Amino acid sequence: MSKTTSGNPMDLLDRYLQAVGFWLPGAQQQDIIAELSEDLHSQIEEKETELGRSLNETEIEDILKRRGRPLLVANRYLPQRSLIGPVLFPIYWFVLKLVAGFYLLPWILVWIGMMSFSPSYRAEHTSAGWFGAIASAWSAWWFIALAALGTVTIVFAVLQQFQIKSRFLEDWNPHKLPPARNPNQIPRSGSVIEVVANLMFGIWWIDMMSTRVLLDRPEIRIVVAPVWRYFFWGFLLLAVINAVAAGVNLARPYWTVPRASVRLATGCIASALFCWMSRASLVAEITGAHIPAARAHEITNALNLWMDRVFPMVLAAGVVIALVDIRRTLRVKKAAPVQLKGAVSVAVI
Amino acid sequence: MCVTYYMTNGTAKEAEVFENLKLELRRGCLTLAVLTQLRTERYGYTLRKALADDGLEIDEGTLYPLLRRLESQGLLVSQWREEDKRNKRFYLLSPVGVQTLEQLLSEWQRINTSLSKILQEA
Repeated sequence: MSKTTSGNPMDLLDRYLQAVGFWLPGAQQQDIIAELSEDLHSQIEEKETELGRSLNETEIEDILKRRGRPLLVANRYLPQRSLIGPVLFPIYWFVLKLVAGFYLLPWILVWIGMMSFSPSYRAEHTSAGWFGAIASAWSAWWFIALAALGTVTIVFAVLQQFQIKSRFLEDWNPHKLPPARNPNQIPRSGSVIEVVANLMFGIWWIDMMSTRVLLDRPEIRIVVAPVWRYFFWGFLLLAVINAVAAGVNLARPYWTVPRASVRLATGCIASALFCWMSRASLVAEITGAHIPAARAHEITNALNLWMDRVFPMVLAAGVVIALVDIRRTLRVKKAAPVQLKGAVSVAVI
Repeated sequence: MCVTYYMTNGTAKEAEVFENLKLELRRGCLTLAVLTQLRTERYGYTLRKALADDGLEIDEGTLYPLLRRLESQGLLVSQWREEDKRNKRFYLLSPVGVQTLEQLLSEWQRINTSLSKILQEA
């Protein structure tokens, strides 16, 4: 609803000038308003001469509307200021994305995982019902998000002031830039480590974990459930596949769709095996010369319970691994056929 | 419907791009035109009229802040004086402004010559 006027059309002009003046710095306010007033009066006078009569309120309103909203008019006289300037903004945005991707999003995923798969956590947080649990988590998340994003913003605002004074970002050296990299290239050092690690794991796995008796010493004996055979063969098979794939990567150090898909499949299978393992009540029996039967039973249950409780974390890690592998596969799929030095086309495998 | 939506948005985006480029192109030219006009003393309203009469429309929201900026940079001097029973602020090129305008005009000539040459070649 518009405010009433005193009936004098020029009252609108005074109100307009006052509104513009509100946003102007004190030192320049009078000067700018005097000039603006003079200009508007000249415009009104010209129009009145043209029409041969005084302007009515609607016509003055029209002139003021064309001139623009008081805040915008005042803003043009003010120096351009920003909390974080264009030089630092891309870095600021990048850090915000990191905070969102590696802190705020995982926080939500872990919460969902804990609520879905940890009965004790769920019981503890749903005493006020599901709605209360979601509301409580939501408010906690917002607090964390605001604190994290606010802290980043404050740090960058301080850096901005520092940059204005010292211009530290202008002092740079091209030699200090990171080497140009091809995201589809596989570092050979990584492949060597993968081959060696998978072979060592395979040998150790066959040597130590091939039976259900994982530890057999006079002081303690640990036996796992019969389901262990699936894990044993599953992880062994994965180690072999990974070692072979790493060997191929070593010879042809660039991602191709089949190899990225193999990595995605092995990542998903390994994550699924870990998830299954954590919920399988794997420890069947613990005995020891100096451990009473009741105590051994307690330890067995505690170990199985602990493994069950880490399931949300295992699941979250599995999801992250799968997402990374999916992203790689899609990126490789999108990329044009890789060209080696000398423009030789590379075979698909 | 999708085609209409795409075309409407495509046209709007193109118009926006054009407007932004036009603004960029005009910005420097306006400064040059204002400085040139202020070889003769004028106040804001008559300056705007003079520019408009020569085909260069400039809105008040652009002109007055520009005049203040040029004055703060020492290129203009201003003075409040009464005319037609009203106080008006008159602007005039300062000695530094005269010198700078000469340099800007020769730069303008150089750019203009180069651009004409480029356009002829194209």
